[in-house]
Amino acid sequence: MSVSKKIVLLGHFGVGKSSLLRRFVENTFSDNYVVTIGVHIMKKEVVVDASNKVTLIIWDVEGTDDFTKYRPSYLMGASSFVYVFDASRPVTYGDLKFNLGHLKEKHPNVPVHIIGNKVDLVDADEIKKALEEQEVQHSYLSSAKTGENVEQLFKDVAAQLLENA
Amino acid sequence: MLDNLRQDFINKTTQLVVVNRELEVVDSDNNLFDISKNSDITDFHPFFFALTTIFDEELQEETFFCVQMEVLGKHYFIDIKTYIGEDGDTLVLILNDLTDHYKTVHQIKQVRNESIINFNISQELNQQLEIQRSFKNKFLANVSHEIRTPLNSIVGFISVLENTEISREQLDVLHIIKDSSKNLVTILDDLMDISKIEAGKLDIKKRRFDFREFVEKLAKTYQIRTDDKRLSFDFELSSKIPRFLVGDHLRINQVIVNLLENALKYTHQGGIKFSVTTSSVNARRIPVTFEVTDTGIGIPKEKLDSIFDSFTQLEKRGLFGGSGLGLSIVKQLTDLLESDLEVKSVEGEGSTFSFTVFMGVSHNQKKEKVAKKKRDKKDLKGAKRPRILLGEDVEVNQLLMMRLFADYGAYSLDIAKNGERVVEYLDRFPYDLVILDLTMPVMDGLDAAVQIRNSSNKKVSKLPIIALTARTSQEEQDAAKEAGMNAYLTKPIDADLLFSTIERLLSRYKRKDKVLEISEEEE
Repeated sequence: MSVSKKIVLLGHFGVGKSSLLRRFVENTFSDNYVVTIGVHIMKKEVVVDASNKVTLIIWDVEGTDDFTKYRPSYLMGASSFVYVFDASRPVTYGDLKFNLGHLKEKHPNVPVHIIGNKVDLVDADEIKKALEEQEVQHSYLSSAKTGENVEQLFKDVAAQLLENA
Repeated sequence: MLDNLRQDFINKTTQLVVVNRELEVVDSDNNLFDISKNSDITDFHPFFFALTTIFDEELQEETFFCVQMEVLGKHYFIDIKTYIGEDGDTLVLILNDLTDHYKTVHQIKQVRNESIINFNISQELNQQLEIQRSFKNKFLANVSHEIRTPLNSIVGFISVLENTEISREQLDVLHIIKDSSKNLVTILDDLMDISKIEAGKLDIKKRRFDFREFVEKLAKTYQIRTDDKRLSFDFELSSKIPRFLVGDHLRINQVIVNLLENALKYTHQGGIKFSVTTSSVNARRIPVTFEVTDTGIGIPKEKLDSIFDSFTQLEKRGLFGGSGLGLSIVKQLTDLLESDLEVKSVEGEGSTFSFTVFMGVSHNQKKEKVAKKKRDKKDLKGAKRPRILLGEDVEVNQLLMMRLFADYGAYSLDIAKNGERVVEYLDRFPYDLVILDLTMPVMDGLDAAVQIRNSSNKKVSKLPIIALTARTSQEEQDAAKEAGMNAYLTKPIDADLLFSTIERLLSRYKRKDKVLEISEEEE
């Protein structure tokens, strides 16, 4: 079985959405921050198992701290959302619960994966504790810089999409 | 003409493409990109997978702003509009190349986002530093408290022992213990001061004081100390400096004492010179220069930059001792006093430390006559002694206070073991003054002070209250002031200071018959 699915990377600006995407698709990383405006789209085929593949069409959407301002056309048709925050900047996950509520209200049937990026810069236990305080369960703590959990994250997203297909 | 303009301004930036439900290209004018007829448009760019949703949801018209596309090595920013064709089975796509416009937007957002991110990061770093600083200060305050409590007994009972009949040899040993204990107190004070300075909680408090007396007393002390070490001591006080100045004599004293102690520690032959001069006269504000010169070991050139760092010592600790905090405090205090600390030194020959502080010249250069009333135990026979109530939970401290008060003899002392008992006693018996330890079980000293101030009995609510505690932080002092306490004394107990404070508060209390305000001199 082979399917194509759209997933959208969301989150504040500067959290590393584009870096995660580049690490996943091209296996490259740069320390330079280059802002994303509009949307940058890349695709990659993920082999879930011997007989199943998913082509992920990944929309890397311009970051914002106000999720109500996301253009509906960017989110339209998404099979999954990947909510990325910067584990080293609390301001990027302080409003996680609120933003998740907004996404759930507008897109009730789209699963959301929560990713704490830049985990190489912080103490992972402290982030887990901070998220627990918000009663939010994260999917992964990752690092686009080291590659930690990046491949695994997209593989899991693909596997879930295949299950729901 | 319009055709030409359309060619120049529209055709070059706009491309029309028609696709069917299978996402095959039905037609394209290829104004921007070469997109082959009958090809799968998703092969051209993955954006076009989105068209499936538009067909499925029958969205008549949709716009996708600022879609980034990489084509033949060139980066484009394209707005894409979609319209369902008249037949319902095709989509008309209008690709509008706005790369130049979006590049400008990109530059603006790059600068804006970078500045916000940098602000967030610096804010986060500051918060982390504040947490660390606060933890360190709390730790230091707790350690200081824990060490001061037993030190209080040691220093206090030394004073008690000194007033008993003991041999000369025993007295010498006592003085050694006393000096060592005082050194320990100085180290604790230094540590607390450094943490206060770092936290920005050490203020400069300017008040009028007898400058000449202050400097002469200091010189007299170090004349004796240098004599003991068989060193010479030269003292110079410019006659141009008026007697009464306005400044923070406590902090200036701290700086000079540290410099003189340092000179004394590192000088083994020759001597020390302490001079106080001014370059200006007859002004409302004069620069006063303090200079301490020694013929000590000197400082190697390469170490001159680091001598003001905390925990820096020139010699091995075992040889000269000390915490290595003194010069760090000196530097930080002179900064607070808005003064530049200068140091000149030649290794093996000696050092000169100097700093200049601007101080106000008091309008009133007359010395007030203070009627000193020294209590004589004999005078107290038959006289009604003021009753003092002490709130203190630690037995050894209770015992010490009983001994100190018994030796002094001027007051009668009752002791309650916590704040609640203090309040009960005050309801039942008449007292003239209350001394409260701040850390007590059941009810602490602060809560007890608040209850006393809120008492409906005016004789109780107006009583002078002294805080006597091993806690030395500014926060504690502020809290004591807030709770209505009139004076703040720290442990180890300085018996002379304790009794002079009691005497002063009692005389003011009786004179004014009103609640006393806590004043700087009593802090």
